[in-house]
Amino acid sequence: MNRVNMATVASNFNPREIDNTADIPGRRAQLVTGNQTYSSITNMVCRVAEDPQPLLWYVLFGFSSLTAVMFLSLIGYLILNGVGIWGNMNPVFWAWPIVNFVFWVGIAHAGTLISAILFLFRQNWRTSINRASEAMTIFAVVCAGIYPGIHVGRAWLAFWLLPYPSLNLWMWPQFRSPLLWDVFAVGTYASTSLVFWYMGMIPDIATYRDRSKSPLRRMVYGLLCLGWTGSSRHWLVYEKAYTLLAALAAPLVLSVHTVVSFDFAVSQVAGWHTTIFPPYFVAGAIFSGFAMVVTLLVPSRAIYKLENLITLRHLENMNKIILATGTLVGLAYATEAYIAWYSMNQYEGFTFLNRQFGPYWWAYWTMVSCNVISPQLFWFKKLRTSLFWMVVICVFVNIGMWFERFVITVTSLSRDFLPSSWGYFRPTMYDGLMLFGSFGIFMSLYLLFCRFLPIIAMSEVKGILSIANHEAHAHDESHGQAH
Amino acid sequence: MSEHKPRKSNEVKMPKAFGWMAEYADEQNLLVAARKVRDSGYTQTDAFTPFPVHGIDEALGIKPTILPFIVLCAGFTGLITALLMQWWTNGVDYKYIISGKPFGITPASIPVAFELTILFSAFTTFLGMIFLNKLPRFSNPVFTNPRFDRATDDRFFLYVNAADKYYNRESVKELLAGTHPDSLDEVLDDSTPSTLPRPIVLGALLLVLTGLIPAMIVLNMRASFSTLPRLHVFFDMDFQPKKKAQQTTTVFADGRSMRPQVKGTVGRGQLTEQDPFYLGYDPSKLSADDAFTNVKYVSANASQDPASKDPASTAVPATPAQTAPPQGAATPAPVLNLPWVDKLPASIVEEGNIEANMKLGKLKFETYCAACHGYGGFGDGLVHKRADALAQGYWLPPTSMHIDRVRAQPVGQIFHTITKGQGKMSSYASSLNPAERWAVVLYVKALQRSRNANIEDVPVDSRSALDNELNAEPTK
Repeated sequence: MNRVNMATVASNFNPREIDNTADIPGRRAQLVTGNQTYSSITNMVCRVAEDPQPLLWYVLFGFSSLTAVMFLSLIGYLILNGVGIWGNMNPVFWAWPIVNFVFWVGIAHAGTLISAILFLFRQNWRTSINRASEAMTIFAVVCAGIYPGIHVGRAWLAFWLLPYPSLNLWMWPQFRSPLLWDVFAVGTYASTSLVFWYMGMIPDIATYRDRSKSPLRRMVYGLLCLGWTGSSRHWLVYEKAYTLLAALAAPLVLSVHTVVSFDFAVSQVAGWHTTIFPPYFVAGAIFSGFAMVVTLLVPSRAIYKLENLITLRHLENMNKIILATGTLVGLAYATEAYIAWYSMNQYEGFTFLNRQFGPYWWAYWTMVSCNVISPQLFWFKKLRTSLFWMVVICVFVNIGMWFERFVITVTSLSRDFLPSSWGYFRPTMYDGLMLFGSFGIFMSLYLLFCRFLPIIAMSEVKGILSIANHEAHAHDESHGQAH
Repeated sequence: MSEHKPRKSNEVKMPKAFGWMAEYADEQNLLVAARKVRDSGYTQTDAFTPFPVHGIDEALGIKPTILPFIVLCAGFTGLITALLMQWWTNGVDYKYIISGKPFGITPASIPVAFELTILFSAFTTFLGMIFLNKLPRFSNPVFTNPRFDRATDDRFFLYVNAADKYYNRESVKELLAGTHPDSLDEVLDDSTPSTLPRPIVLGALLLVLTGLIPAMIVLNMRASFSTLPRLHVFFDMDFQPKKKAQQTTTVFADGRSMRPQVKGTVGRGQLTEQDPFYLGYDPSKLSADDAFTNVKYVSANASQDPASKDPASTAVPATPAQTAPPQGAATPAPVLNLPWVDKLPASIVEEGNIEANMKLGKLKFETYCAACHGYGGFGDGLVHKRADALAQGYWLPPTSMHIDRVRAQPVGQIFHTITKGQGKMSSYASSLNPAERWAVVLYVKALQRSRNANIEDVPVDSRSALDNELNAEPTK
């Protein structure tokens, strides 16, 4: 039973060496390699949490949790001393905190895209990577949410952003401001992603529960999975709910970065006040998010030996999306510059010349090299199927996407309409440490996730395997072959 | 499984049978068996699988779920909530103008309305799934069989519940055995203790109570009245490291926290305080003494002012003059003695501007001044006529422009009167800008001249035309 459609593959062939990136006409490429059965998939995924973690995990977790502690201490220092410890100074008051916020929110988008939009498009290859990407979404939103929260100055009053009937304020938030739309968009996105992620994990947590040896572990996982049995009557409602959540999350993910771009586009500042911002931001978000997913999955699959589930084909598919969205981002840069010239608006025109050849020329050209030029290397199959090169390019993409937000935020503010108010932004040590520290939060959460929760959606992979087996079965029978 | 709770309290003594559970290694076998069970008429059935098996709903006869309709309702609720919230908070309850944007439901309401629609729908989807599946359910008799652990791994189970109306223990066993299961077991009631261990209960209770302490302290503080100053966790804006007016400082050598004006600089508004064009008098000609007595305290001290040189214009506080005729001006108004400007500003009277300024002055005079002073400036405007007719006794008639005292006033003083007001007349500085005020002065001067002119003042070539006009129309 549990045949895999591997009629062409000799049984003694090493599954790790099968190249499933090649498209053979008339045959579907395998989504999982290595003659997998249902129980082998369970074993492979549960092993990640059940076996003792490799030494590397402890090294990485030690480092990233120390970084996270440093970040939290710096937040404490910030609350005690005020935002003056950052380099935010007239005329650039929206400096690194907003850059980092947009950077992290953008990264978050890939997870929802993979789990929702690829689900709606019936892209079955998403099943091996959606769980880790969704987790990454949650952790990136956590990092993103911190920045506006502490950037408001009086972080202990950040709850004033919410429309609650206050007995002290006697007033309501200003719903005509894009900054408040942002509160709702990011809040909805964080909570909906969390629900989507958790609901997707319920059946897999039940698997963890049923394999648990220790009563404590069994009890904790048992509570987390809400007593899931795998009942078909439950599965029916569950699948409907999953489809509904995917259909809700797909427009949501597009709206979130649209609203983030409104923070800029609704203002009058030259270089921000453009209608291209929403699609341009969304494309950039998917671009950076996929790059982060690849950067995380390549080491994860190597450390936890998941190459048969997260195959080279999965990574190659993601690299193709990076290539497509990277080209979209390049097109957006060109369109922006063209419109700046074509509009004959002197402020707009100046802003773009200033970006390219002004005091921040280095940031602009870093952005262009990393975001436009480096993903073009993925046109070569050798590079997009090479683990080393894809990680290098994806790291460059994320550097480039950080610089994109820096260029948008800082260059426009530092030189606006009044030359007497121009300035040059200089970050402080705390800006740098707090950007670095957010990676500590992100990595700590990701490592804990690998340690305790199912990093691959086992039930979904099994479902895909079942369909593949069924198709192979039908195919074999149509040729009158024994199996 | 220590988290198990009793389903029913009377089921603890004897293990009760809940039905039969058959196990299969393959989803195809499960589907075949499920169809067989369905065709035998059983409806209280279920299958337990590690993933959603395609076609099992049809094989078991499971009806579609109503979840999508619940979510649709939730979506509309979210949409309406968002729109009502924005309309109420920004359009009704706390209405304030921001960038001239309209109130109520506008395109700016769309993002929040969209997000709340999604938020309500998403949480309803999740909670609806939990509710419709009757989760969480930690105690379930199907868990009693250790083989069932593989239902989330790689095994497929078919279950016929004893609650089915056609259920017969032996016939169901026979039916399921006919589908060649890998194993066939009866589902028995859970016999493990159903209560949580005491230390866990106590620990949880302690944790909850400890967690409530800060909230209780805050609530107590909110509800109680105390004369003690409140505790400041964060100082917010109550205490700020800054200097207030009149405080001393060690930062500057003179010890003053308020800083004097830097030499050679002009403050905002200072330019207009120095220029006769804005004042009607020349401040540079004021002596220090004059400046003190005349400008700062003029209304209080004008009558004792030693600097007043003209005894006729000595200020007398305005008193009601009920019987005074409009043109009489029996009550002298307080008169200032300042170094008045005695020529109209060059920009007002220069060639090319004077015609336009005369017209502007006429327009503004007839708009603002004529209501009281009358179109001819005799102090007989409509307001005066009405007040006089009422004869209430406290009406102070407007001054005629054609009495000697007013005619003798330099242009700067008339300008000053318009700017600052006089007696009952209030300031017109907010209605007329300085250039308009000078234009009105120009027109007033022309009015005065016209009412006290002789034929010599008329240009020679216009005299005959004037004669004709005078003969045709009597003066007002």
